[in-house]
Amino acid sequence: MSRILEIDDLAVDFDTRFGRVRALDGVSVGLEAGETLGLVGESGCGKSITALAVMGLVPTPPGRIGAGSIRFCGEELIKAPKSRLRNLRGAEIAMIFQEPMSSLNPVFTVEDQIVEAIMLHRPIEYDAARREAVALLERVGIPEAAQRARDYPHQLSGGMRQRVMIAMAVSCRPRVLIADEPTTALDVTVQAQIFDLLGEIQHEFGVAIILITHDMGVISEMADRVAVMYAGRIIEEAGADDVLDHPQHPYTRGLIACIPTLEDDASLREIPGVVPPLHALGRGCAFADRCAYMDARCRRERPALAPTGHHANACLAVAEGRL
Amino acid sequence: MSDLLEVRDLSVRFDAGRASLFAPRRWLEAVRGVSFGIDRGKALGIVGESGSGKTTTAMAAIRLTQAAAGRVLLEGEDLLTLDEAAMRARRKDVQLIFQDPYSSLNPRSRVRDILREPLDLMEVGTRASREERVRELIDLVGLRVDQLPLFPHQFSGGQRQRISIARALATAPKLLVCDEPVSALDVAIQAQILNLLLRLKEELDLGYLFISHDLGVVRYLCDEVAVMYLGRIVEIGPRAQVFESPRHPYTRTLLAAVPSLKRRKSSGFKRPAAIEGDPPSPINPPKGCAFARRCPHAKDICLSIDPALEPRAGGRVACHFPVS
Amino acid sequence: MDESAQSPAAEAWIAFCHNIPALAGLLILLGIVALTLYGTLFYAGDAYEIVWAPHEKPLTESDFPLGTDYLGRDIVAGLIAGGGPTLAVGLCAALLTMVIGIAFGALAGYYGGWVDIVLMRITEFFQVLPALLFAMVLVTLFSPSLVTIAIAIGVVSWPQTARLTRAEFLKIKELEYVTAARAIGTRDRRIIWKVILPNAAPPLIVSATLTVGVAILFEAGISFLGLGDPNTMSWGLMIGMNREYILDAWWPVTFPGLAIFLTVFSVSLLGDGINDAFNPRLRER
Repeated sequence: MSRILEIDDLAVDFDTRFGRVRALDGVSVGLEAGETLGLVGESGCGKSITALAVMGLVPTPPGRIGAGSIRFCGEELIKAPKSRLRNLRGAEIAMIFQEPMSSLNPVFTVEDQIVEAIMLHRPIEYDAARREAVALLERVGIPEAAQRARDYPHQLSGGMRQRVMIAMAVSCRPRVLIADEPTTALDVTVQAQIFDLLGEIQHEFGVAIILITHDMGVISEMADRVAVMYAGRIIEEAGADDVLDHPQHPYTRGLIACIPTLEDDASLREIPGVVPPLHALGRGCAFADRCAYMDARCRRERPALAPTGHHANACLAVAEGRL
Repeated sequence: MSDLLEVRDLSVRFDAGRASLFAPRRWLEAVRGVSFGIDRGKALGIVGESGSGKTTTAMAAIRLTQAAAGRVLLEGEDLLTLDEAAMRARRKDVQLIFQDPYSSLNPRSRVRDILREPLDLMEVGTRASREERVRELIDLVGLRVDQLPLFPHQFSGGQRQRISIARALATAPKLLVCDEPVSALDVAIQAQILNLLLRLKEELDLGYLFISHDLGVVRYLCDEVAVMYLGRIVEIGPRAQVFESPRHPYTRTLLAAVPSLKRRKSSGFKRPAAIEGDPPSPINPPKGCAFARRCPHAKDICLSIDPALEPRAGGRVACHFPVS
Repeated sequence: MDESAQSPAAEAWIAFCHNIPALAGLLILLGIVALTLYGTLFYAGDAYEIVWAPHEKPLTESDFPLGTDYLGRDIVAGLIAGGGPTLAVGLCAALLTMVIGIAFGALAGYYGGWVDIVLMRITEFFQVLPALLFAMVLVTLFSPSLVTIAIAIGVVSWPQTARLTRAEFLKIKELEYVTAARAIGTRDRRIIWKVILPNAAPPLIVSATLTVGVAILFEAGISFLGLGDPNTMSWGLMIGMNREYILDAWWPVTFPGLAIFLTVFSVSLLGDGINDAFNPRLRER
């Protein structure tokens, strides 16, 4: 397998009323062709900003890429001209968002929007593009696709809208698809349909997916590899089974133990305290205040992501064998 | 007969206007003949998808939404027939906490005033004893007394939810209605609030009417579970019964749809009991069983006759062909 | 987390203090108010008395720095004397607008149903009245005093405030803290005035500020058309009385005009500043 996306030591700063804040700090992660990488963490941990950085869509100002590189098939994206990024977006790297209603334009029909996405990136006749749009809608499981294509977004249910977004995203056969909490706004049975569809699409189109979620269950069902984020850093990265069955970082352990599941009767272990605000991060490990294994060194040093075999984690307690 | 709350044949409908000037008036049948009971110190969870009527059911049960029909007996007294003043007095026994910790607290009140307001309105105790009670409450939910003069925006989501809970507990209610109390919170914070709710239930012998779309949360907290679909309860029973051996096809679908740590991409899985489509609209709901059009086991009778909620092995199920 | 107990209003005030245009607006306005209140202390002179030859140019005679009008009255004295009534009319009209508008909007928004329908039809009736014409009719029917003018302005400009209040109430009454208030048995009256209204206040305060400016312009318009109270000096009246001679003498009209412009301008800056201060999304930037 080859890495099609390589994020290296990425840092993103935001100007806030508390001054400049580092929202993403030293994030390094790669994406193999055709695999699904899960980015998991609580709100504000930087998972969405990572996605926006890859798309070249970090709002500037107040945001700014502070350091690092993002390479797509070996091509550096950070310094790439805007026109090149525009060509890549949608064609090679596509994204679907949380709220399918606000990411579709309410005044155009579904078909118009998909046709536009196709014709933007490919030399293709209008009629051919329309036929393809309908075929795509059929492929993503929209019944009576030819008629539904004439509908406006508000005439579709939330699940149908997300299907349209997926159809639009894969219309140019991208190699990377970023899905940012694609089912948060949907009901659980519809969520299951969307994830099943994403799985099929990946199989059929061979697209690599970055799946952003806060739900470990989703990671389990969807991801090949997982990167766990906390306060702007990746604190653990490994194959999905490794992370779920043998979590190393205390935060990851807490995150798995605090989910009420349908199988387990144990009482929930809570992670005490709250995520520290980014402007108040000290020198040490950002998780130290909430960690049962914390010692003096954790307060002094911020641990780097240290690989142990195929399983990387950023924890001094793990490194020193204190766990 | 449950000793705390007994809801019988509760129905709620909203005027959905007319499609055109001469078209017949349409009704949104939000809740259609729902019955359930809650015992003292027990939690009933209502699960369902959006539009299933679970929140409306709860709101109508405590008379914050007008019911079209039915009875709501709180310790034997029908809340729906009480006059305004008597209902206001009775409100101290039923309180509620909400989903969104950001809109559930008045941004212009200090925490102290938020907690005092119910005490003042209900004229509970003397002035001094109310102040004492406020301190007790803030401590009960795990916040500090020195945080009383602060305003809501100075707290995190989880802390705000604790304040909400403290406010709800101020008048020492017997029943707490929890409307998706943890859905807006991050998972780590979710566990904190769930454990707090569990502890309060034991300590204060509280009854919960617990609304959630998250089945894991309901399974963790509730003793009984009701599954709603399009304004009706399709299955109700003890927790173990509903989660371990669901009888209604919709319950099975719902359970299979929840992302599970046990299902791995690496081992490849095929989702059992997957269904197509979206729930139908609650405006002029279809004849027969509401789930029939998505149900894998549906037969002709399901499309014409709405099955009644009938006792089956510990629980009650509304299905012509319950799964065994 | 900031552990000090800061109310949303206090935070808004701090944000306001960092807004330079808004502060400038506040300073200009305070200056104008101070001049109208205390101007007579260091500039003696009667605004109504004929003290010099008519149409003396500004900056020629040291006693009358801005010259004299068509009767030979001192323009500086006129500006000082006319400021008070002008501002008072603006303020009273804005106050009246707020009282009627908030009452209508709050009741319509909170109760909805037929209350809403009836109140909003009344509001629409007033909204479609041609404002200036209606005010003119009112002023001509009754004696053209400042009070009549203030009432006339108030009566024609409240529908906007009513609509704004109603919109805010419709939005806020659905929020969960209002439901929570109902759940603890709070009476409607208390919910409307003590729970919802304070939270609806920010846009209303902004609108009130801007209404002051509009009312001042309105007063000027009415006076300009010669319908003002001839016995009370106001900036609008000064312009109205001197307008016939504008081709011969520009200054008797220009200086009151500038005064009105400065006042309305500073009020607008102030209103925008309050708006930004109350809008936390903008504040984050």
